[in-house]
Amino acid sequence: MNSNSYFCSTIGRKQLVGLTGLALCGFVLMHALTNMLILVSPDAYNKYSHALVTNPLIYFAEAILVLLFLGHIVIAIGLTVSSKGARPEKYHAGASGVKAGSVVAKNMWKQGIIIAIFLVYHLITFKFGTYYKTTIDGVEMRDLHRLVVEMFQLPLYSGFYVFVMVVLFFHLSHGLSSSIQTFGFHHPKHTPKIEKLGLAFAALVAVCFVSQPLYCFFIYKG
Amino acid sequence: MSNQKLDSKVPSGDIADKWEKHKFDMKLVNPANKRKFEIIVVGTGLAGASAAASLAELGYKVKSFCIQDSARRAHSIAAQGGINAAKNYPSDGDSVYRLFYDTVKGGDFRAREANVYRLAQVSNNIIDQCVAQGVPFARDYGGMLTNRSFGGAQVSRTFYARGQTGQQLLIGAYSAMMKEVGKGTIQLFDRREMLDLVLVDGVARGITVRNLVSGEIESHSAHAVVLATGGYGNTYFLSTNAKNSNATAAWRCHKKGAYFANPCFTQIHPTCIPVSGDYQSKLTLMSESLRNDGRVWVPKDKGVKEWNIPEEQRDYYLERIYPSFGNLVPRDVASRQAKFRVDEGRGVGTSGVAVYLDFKDAVQRMGQEAVSEKYGNLFQMYEKITGEDPYKQPMRIYPAVHYTMGGLWVDYNLQSTIPGLHVLGEANFSDHGANRLGASALMQGLADGYFVIPYTIGHFLASHKHPEVTTDHEAFKASANEVRQKSEQLLGIKGKKSPDEFHRNLGKVMWEYVGMSRSAEGLKKAQIEISNLREEFWANVNVIGDPKNKNSELEKAGRVADFLELGELMARDALEREESCGGHFREEHQTAENEAKRNDEDFAHAAAWEYSGQDLKMNWNRHREELNFEYVKLATRSYK
Amino acid sequence: MAGSSAQSINLKLKVWQQRGPKDKGQFLEYDAKNVSTEMSFLEMLDVMNEDLVKQGKEPIEFDHDCREGICGMCSLVINGSAHGKDQAITTCQLHMRRFKDGETVTIEPFRAKAFPVIKDLVVDRSAFDRIIQTGGFVSVSTGAAQDANNLPVGKEKSDRAFEAATCIGCGACVAACPNASASLFVSAKIAHLALLPQGEVEREQRAYGMVHKMDEEGFGSCTNIGACSASCPKEISLENIAIMNREFLRGSLTHRK
Repeated sequence: MNSNSYFCSTIGRKQLVGLTGLALCGFVLMHALTNMLILVSPDAYNKYSHALVTNPLIYFAEAILVLLFLGHIVIAIGLTVSSKGARPEKYHAGASGVKAGSVVAKNMWKQGIIIAIFLVYHLITFKFGTYYKTTIDGVEMRDLHRLVVEMFQLPLYSGFYVFVMVVLFFHLSHGLSSSIQTFGFHHPKHTPKIEKLGLAFAALVAVCFVSQPLYCFFIYKG
Repeated sequence: MSNQKLDSKVPSGDIADKWEKHKFDMKLVNPANKRKFEIIVVGTGLAGASAAASLAELGYKVKSFCIQDSARRAHSIAAQGGINAAKNYPSDGDSVYRLFYDTVKGGDFRAREANVYRLAQVSNNIIDQCVAQGVPFARDYGGMLTNRSFGGAQVSRTFYARGQTGQQLLIGAYSAMMKEVGKGTIQLFDRREMLDLVLVDGVARGITVRNLVSGEIESHSAHAVVLATGGYGNTYFLSTNAKNSNATAAWRCHKKGAYFANPCFTQIHPTCIPVSGDYQSKLTLMSESLRNDGRVWVPKDKGVKEWNIPEEQRDYYLERIYPSFGNLVPRDVASRQAKFRVDEGRGVGTSGVAVYLDFKDAVQRMGQEAVSEKYGNLFQMYEKITGEDPYKQPMRIYPAVHYTMGGLWVDYNLQSTIPGLHVLGEANFSDHGANRLGASALMQGLADGYFVIPYTIGHFLASHKHPEVTTDHEAFKASANEVRQKSEQLLGIKGKKSPDEFHRNLGKVMWEYVGMSRSAEGLKKAQIEISNLREEFWANVNVIGDPKNKNSELEKAGRVADFLELGELMARDALEREESCGGHFREEHQTAENEAKRNDEDFAHAAAWEYSGQDLKMNWNRHREELNFEYVKLATRSYK
Repeated sequence: MAGSSAQSINLKLKVWQQRGPKDKGQFLEYDAKNVSTEMSFLEMLDVMNEDLVKQGKEPIEFDHDCREGICGMCSLVINGSAHGKDQAITTCQLHMRRFKDGETVTIEPFRAKAFPVIKDLVVDRSAFDRIIQTGGFVSVSTGAAQDANNLPVGKEKSDRAFEAATCIGCGACVAACPNASASLFVSAKIAHLALLPQGEVEREQRAYGMVHKMDEEGFGSCTNIGACSASCPKEISLENIAIMNREFLRGSLTHRK
């Protein structure tokens, strides 16, 4: 690739991280909202997940999702590595106060690693986890609800899950508004609003996700 | 003594036509031949950067040198208030002729008329050029450029970019220069200090520099040398100049034969933050533009320490003495009046060596926000340094050395008495006479660099033969050896006092005797003291460290050595100029009202000093360039 | 208030000392006694250096020039913050009244791969010049300009351009950024010229060229941390980085090579 290409530049790569990030935000929001079916009933939850996996477009959607995640992660790792290399000798005294900058922004990569590890574990646990069967309205399908409840009733797993969701909250709270800045939009009047919106979005997603283990652990007696 | 070397080469004809006629009469270098000429430009302030950029655009091969780590840092960057031009956008009666008139009068009739007229003529082109480069001058709501007033003028002709005009203009010139560096037409040498001028057959053909990082002594050859290295205000140690501003390049040229003109013409700026302790390393200017809205006062009674005193106990002395110009009298006048008040015992602040500059009325009239819009960064700067809030209490100000009108003598083509050596900006002497008006330094630097030297250097190159000279020439080797020896000598003394200590002592002598007010007795004393100090320096200076590495002690020592010589010449020039004019105030020559009394009969000339000393024994011959005032009639300068 | 309440404090200085670019470097520990609170930070270092010279030791090299906050020559990371912990300030404007008696003050050079140390606290910032050379200008030759008032510029835009143009090129943004990114510096120039009609003609090539040069010089990438703007002596806004991002996108889309 031409070293002067858009895709080699830091800004170009940043914008790709932002773009994939925004798309993933859409996915995460969908995921969080539909998961709330767990609060409705086990059948609703299982029927929705069955509908999802039997949709012929699922492979296509999954492929895109994998690409988005891989793209987001690989490009971000590349940028992080080169940024770390941009200061070979670290400061001996640390900055304090406002000149230190945003703690969340500085640690996006750490949050990213935690989320990525979780992601793999998450897929192993659920997507490729125990396949319980159930029959709803005469249709045989996977009883994902049972697996989810089993897992969330394990204190250690639930604790880990909640921790990751808090990390995700921070990641999204910076990520969303940061990507808008990265695409080139900044306005003294609107940017603070966008930042608040990002925060609200992250909170919504995190609350949705966290409510599930809490529900399973404390309330659901199925 | 008259001297044929001091031919000003001013073209004949009416003053308004001289420059046009001269541009036509000068020889040209054809575009293909320009590539064959190399030009060295030393310094990257407004004059140097604009010259380097313009010469490179014309096709010359330019080598540019600066002592800082980047060409963008030269001290022009610190100019605050603005730049004059005769655009007459406000329609308040300005014209090229009025700008010319004001500048000659403001300079107390000690500038060369033809140069000043040309300066006023090209002033408008400068504004056009800078705006085209993207310099964000202040604008009104209609999108047009706005102006403000400066001392010594009754029209608004000063273009400005808040309190950072110098910065914006320099960044403009610097970026023009960087454009050429990118193209390869300018070769940039940063962190280099010029330590000698190399002459071959009496013509300036190159320079010897020290690489301030590696310590290496380097030789560079060219067909002409342009010196734009600024003034010598730091002779006083404390001044508003940057710490690295120095006279070494100009001084070494002087010792190689370039005449030094009017060294005693120094400008003491009236509005600077006062000295607060012995450790003080420099003084900070508060822009003259502040006098547009700030009012200068001291208590009517002696020894009053409170600033919050009733109106009737305040003496707004500039408004009282000079009702028509008020707080906007020229700098020399304002400075002297401040000194008189302090000498009377009516100075303010803990030291008693300050006067007030008060914005109470401005804040009341315009509101704090409007004041902040105009002067915000200056107020902020003041607060950082003093810890006091000028919106609430008056600023304390006192005069400080700011600018030097004197410099290497140049003719109308900006060429010194050494063929091939051209001198621009503050480093030359030509345009400001005995006092520079506010916002004229930026104008002159850029006029010289953008609009004068590109024409006149072509004339020099086209009208001389240029034998092939490389740095292998004997003259370069001899110069490099001399420079190396001097470094070794400085490092070898291993005395007891640091270069700064000598510099501080020199500064005290200069400020005491060659400062705002000078007397024959004091000036004689100064010469002896400086000469003694110089002797002590060469016997007792302690320069530590490695010549082959970054070594700021060695840098300082070399500069102080030169200041110790130049200081003596300044005192001598001041002694021989038996008159008061502009910034040069001789106690023996004043009116009953303590105003400067010029002596046009005997001193309507520029004094150009030729170095004739040897080693530590300084000596000079004084030559004169008669100044003829055909257009601005010699008159007593009055701002009442 | 200053002028009336000069006090003396004692400080323990830890000053970075490094003979040259390849030297490893270490801290010099120095007791600064009776430091007047009226002094500027650099004057305090001047006094230290004079004392070191008296002791026959080599003084610490540091960059400085105008000492009034405009030339951009002074640098230093003081207790981990570029130009010290106060905002809107350069090291030369920092005064000792901002320090407490008995405090330990750690002084380090600006650290970045693109700013190699020359000696002690002096670093090489010529990468900035090289970035400007690739587009930080308007290509107008001397004498080719039209009348200054032919092109009106709205006051609001002109003011924004001015604010971006107040950058002093000190490099504090790079020093402060955890990624050692030069985005704030580069964007200030791109935005300054993009906001003015004079800069319009070359805006695509400018952003394209300068950003690629910035990357080539080895600066890190921007992750919108904001330490740069908080550390900037001229308080240059992050808005400029957004402008750079879109100018670059535009430049990349329209670049024909």
